[in-house]
Amino acid sequence: MSTNSNPNLLLLGVNHTTAPVEVRERLAIPSDRLADATRTLAHQPGIREALILSTCNRVELLTVHESNGAHATSAPDGSATPGTEMLRFLQDYLDVRVTDIQPHVYEFRERDAIRHLFRVASSLDSMVIGEPQILGQVKQSWSVAREVGAIKSTEACSSTLDPLLQRAFSVAKRVRTETQIGSTTVSIASVASELARKIFGSLAGKTVLIVGAGKMSDLTARHLIQQGATTLLVSNRTEAGAEAIADSLRTPAITTGVIPFEQLHEQSFRADIIITGTGSANHVFLPEQARALLQRRRNRPVFFIDIAVPRDVDPAVNSVEGCFVYDIDDLQQVAAQNQSARSREAEAAESIVTKEVARYTDRLAQAPATESIKQLLHDAETLRLQEVARITQQLSGQPLSPEQLAAIDRLTKSLTAKLLHPQIAALRETGSSSESKD
Amino acid sequence: MSLLWLRVAVVLYGIAALAVLPAALYDRPRWRHIAVPAALAGVFFHFVSIVETLVAAHRALPVDTHETLSWLGLLLVVAFLLLAARAHTVSFGIFLLPVAALLAIVPAFHPGHETLSYPQLRTGWLLLHIALLLAAYAALFISLIASLLYLIQERRLKQKLSAPASRLPPLETLDQIALKSLLFGLPCMTAGLLIGSVVALQTMGPSFFADPKVLLSLAMWIVYMLMIFIRRHRGLRGRRAVYWSGFVFLGVLAVWAANSLSAVHRFKTP
Repeated sequence: MSTNSNPNLLLLGVNHTTAPVEVRERLAIPSDRLADATRTLAHQPGIREALILSTCNRVELLTVHESNGAHATSAPDGSATPGTEMLRFLQDYLDVRVTDIQPHVYEFRERDAIRHLFRVASSLDSMVIGEPQILGQVKQSWSVAREVGAIKSTEACSSTLDPLLQRAFSVAKRVRTETQIGSTTVSIASVASELARKIFGSLAGKTVLIVGAGKMSDLTARHLIQQGATTLLVSNRTEAGAEAIADSLRTPAITTGVIPFEQLHEQSFRADIIITGTGSANHVFLPEQARALLQRRRNRPVFFIDIAVPRDVDPAVNSVEGCFVYDIDDLQQVAAQNQSARSREAEAAESIVTKEVARYTDRLAQAPATESIKQLLHDAETLRLQEVARITQQLSGQPLSPEQLAAIDRLTKSLTAKLLHPQIAALRETGSSSESKD
Repeated sequence: MSLLWLRVAVVLYGIAALAVLPAALYDRPRWRHIAVPAALAGVFFHFVSIVETLVAAHRALPVDTHETLSWLGLLLVVAFLLLAARAHTVSFGIFLLPVAALLAIVPAFHPGHETLSYPQLRTGWLLLHIALLLAAYAALFISLIASLLYLIQERRLKQKLSAPASRLPPLETLDQIALKSLLFGLPCMTAGLLIGSVVALQTMGPSFFADPKVLLSLAMWIVYMLMIFIRRHRGLRGRRAVYWSGFVFLGVLAVWAANSLSAVHRFKTP
């Protein structure tokens, strides 16, 4: 690719595939320091525009370097390249040694950098392919970079990063719309929540009962509350433990309550979703108890999420009409199915990204020719208008009718277009051939 | 010309019926953008065809079995569109659209030549009687489909299957649709039967009530009421709901078939 078509675009970074968490956490830039870091990076010598993307799985610096001067490209005389300059920025700003991070760093230039950015924004480079947060994080970085003036357009020089980022957002949107990459969930808690929605539709106003304590139960309950569940009941062998769980999950929008463990079977009919995670060696819920529970609920369905090992809910409960039992293996199996479905969709998404990169780079390659063509047309039109004005003045003794003036206008326009056609075609050809050579 | 519009409507219903399959069964939501507009356009042409037919014949009533079934088809597609708009599901189209296309295809290509046995019955009240009963039949059919979809979704959830049927509506939504359809259908059926009875009483006297068609209609109304009562008070769902809905639907078909046994409530071939 020509350096003229998209001068000195460079992306440098680490992610979950190239760097262990020990390295990533040293490079991570907290959100309250992002603006300062972006501003500092943009003020480094030779950098025209800059953006920093820092998430738990990646830290990336995207920069546009001045197309002329000492900082433009790699220096044959051994002086610093833009890549090493950016590593030095990380060293100075984050107090890390370049030698510690260099083995983990990847570097993409020009077309490869565009491709990488499109893949990142489309969540194809994420740890969980298709997760939706990354696009918001890229948008946040873009917004910060604009606020601190690290992405800028001037009269003399238009921004390179601004249209590139906007294109990345529309590519990500296209990927989401045209593929099913984000339509399934892949974490245990979100799978449980999705299954609950398949049973109950909206979870608004639903009651969740946690039986026993555990991190996974807690996480799943939080997910269900986020989805709209409004009442949380807790039952534990020790009442103090139940109170502690209820307190940790209590928010102003949630009603919480504790059910004494000995009353569990009498009270569990109040819950639409029951998350069980006790350490009991025997089943806590048996089919006959499930039938009694359903009878009291007038056959309204109940969803058991059994995260305990050994299981708390007898598998036979699943055969009771109106009871749906998912144990940890079932949830993991659904998550794995969803993950493989996402991987299939990722292939289609990659194809969209490849096409979009080609389109974008073609447009960039055509940009200088387009500018020249615009200038040529503008000059020709100015000249034509001057000539029409001159001839009209010369004939001022014999005023022309509106029809005659229109005919002169048409004639001059037609002549200009015919005379310019070969030159415009040649300019377009030049733009295309320089791109294909690259 | 009215036949042409009806044929166009049938083709559009066919397109919608095919497009709804990938949208509802294979998790391809983009097909929804074909199914819904095609069904909407079909309703438009179907309606135009009905209006043209009625205007040309200077009457306000369907005069034969095929024409009446075509009205029912129109109601089913309208119900599909309402469900797509309000419940955000096109799954009902899997059943409603092919049935609507079948109901409209016969009058579109083989118009009937029957007439009412009693031309003096051609009043606004009779139009209301027909419209209300057709609405009740459509509501019952939708309730049956909702119960069937409930059963399918319930099985999938119990067997822990994902993918194809994932676009089916949630169980609670299906249950609500089934119940609300029945609740909508009951007043329609009650009013339709009452109006029909009053008109028949005035025209033919008390002998009308000994007619098999009328007796079956009353039996159907009682079962319909019973089903709603059980659904509301016992929380009838799943398999049992399908059995009940299926039973009542068979009753409706029997009542419809009883037209041929009825001496008074039938169309006749001139």
